[in-house]
Amino acid sequence: MSYSFEQHKIVGAIEADDDYWRGLEDGVLRLPRCASCRGWTWPAHFRCGQCGSWDFDWVAVEPRGRIFTYTRTHYAFDRVLERREDVPYVTVVAELPDAGNLRLIGVLKGDEADLAIGAPVRGTIDPPSAKSKFYPALRWELER
Amino acid sequence: MTERNVSSMRGATAIVGIGQTPYYKRGTAPEPELKLALRAITQAADDAGIDVRDIDGFISYASERSDPAKLMPALGTRECRFASLVWIHGGALAGTLNVAAGAILSGQADIVAIYRSMAEGNSQRLRVAVAQNDTSSQYLVNGLDSPAQILALRAQRLMEHHGVPRSALFATVQASYYHARNNSRALGRATEMTREIYDEARMISEPYRLFDCSRENDGAACVLVVSAERARDLRQTPAYVLSAPMGTMGGGGALEENWRPYYATAGQKELADRLWRESGYGPKDVDVAQIYMNMDAMGIGSMIDHGFFAMEEAGAFCTLDNLIAPSGRLPINTSGGDLAEGFIHGMGLIPEAVRQIRGTSVNQVPGARLSLVTGGPGDLMSSTALLGSADTL
Repeated sequence: MSYSFEQHKIVGAIEADDDYWRGLEDGVLRLPRCASCRGWTWPAHFRCGQCGSWDFDWVAVEPRGRIFTYTRTHYAFDRVLERREDVPYVTVVAELPDAGNLRLIGVLKGDEADLAIGAPVRGTIDPPSAKSKFYPALRWELER
Repeated sequence: MTERNVSSMRGATAIVGIGQTPYYKRGTAPEPELKLALRAITQAADDAGIDVRDIDGFISYASERSDPAKLMPALGTRECRFASLVWIHGGALAGTLNVAAGAILSGQADIVAIYRSMAEGNSQRLRVAVAQNDTSSQYLVNGLDSPAQILALRAQRLMEHHGVPRSALFATVQASYYHARNNSRALGRATEMTREIYDEARMISEPYRLFDCSRENDGAACVLVVSAERARDLRQTPAYVLSAPMGTMGGGGALEENWRPYYATAGQKELADRLWRESGYGPKDVDVAQIYMNMDAMGIGSMIDHGFFAMEEAGAFCTLDNLIAPSGRLPINTSGGDLAEGFIHGMGLIPEAVRQIRGTSVNQVPGARLSLVTGGPGDLMSSTALLGSADTL
């Protein structure tokens, strides 16, 4: 099958994270772990900077963590105009204890009442839509 | 080896000419970007008493489009012997001085122009240059586009987790606008900044309100760098480059908010350590500082990384009285800086750092001998520079 995000590719950055997006489109959070030294590399890259290996295993990880930082956007910026109607919306950077505390970005879903750095969050996955540029999207939700 | 090479650069070059066009509201420059660059460069040559045709080195940074090939025919350049564009964004600002010193000391060029020109109508910088090629899908898919939003993530951490108070941010804004009042070029000169105006301005991306953000403007600025030896025979008081390190900490790079071990400041701690080591001075010796403020909290992060104060001291240190000329503990952004003078990708900060050494700033710190200028905080690659008068060598 072909993936939605592949038809709407955002180009120009490192672009070693195709397997991350494939995983999310398949409904699973997968993150790259070095096949040799078992270290996590995030954002995904082509070579493990710790040991020099070129091989990564994309490992399924439980999408849970705690809020490292966040911002509430009050302005519809040019390149994310598809979220115009959602302004203000909160984007969260969460740390994942199950994956070496690497940090993943996602738009907050649901209740914002307990939004704070350190608060526990759980991830769900939105299928590709115009709102996320036809990529699948990890969403963070505050744990009750 | 490294130390020996570095010490040979200390004070070996100097800034001898400065040029700045008027600043315009973004998208309203009456002249094209290339013409603004020409005006800044010729002005810097006139200021130095140098024939503009003799400039043989050209350095800019980030997404500059007025390349030397386009400038040369109009400058009458006799020979271009060195040209370089420094990575990545505004972080490159102060590091351009290091590249110039390298070119001059290795005999590749004698007179180097460092410049930056921007006119949004021509370059579409915000819409194209900044936008292209390095904002990853990890950001864009999750509603993050602008540097304002991405830097807001760091500011939220600096404030909520590390406890830097809102009053510290406001003090940097107030000091910038206070200084701008004396500067006829400053776009913010008519604004008398009060806490009410600041608090009531619209929210952009929390915790940033409008006045926490730099102004993106049209204009151009240039400084000329020559060897210390040549500088002594020229018209202006030389501002010697004592140190101008560039780079990124170990574990840095394009990490999409995954920096370790520290995150919420400016990523300049290692740079500042090198600056103090290479220059032989420390934060307590600095008389005046031009702190790059793409966003004000990032500038506070720069000051923390440079050792002017610790995280927990930010509230006590960052007060209007402490941050203004002539007698604050650390007068910052004495032209109004990126927040209140205008923002030509930070390039206006170097000329002002030079004016402080010359004694010609509109907000002069009396007897200033050591003048700091920091590069874009939080950039993937950054830099910082210490300028000194002859008696600091």
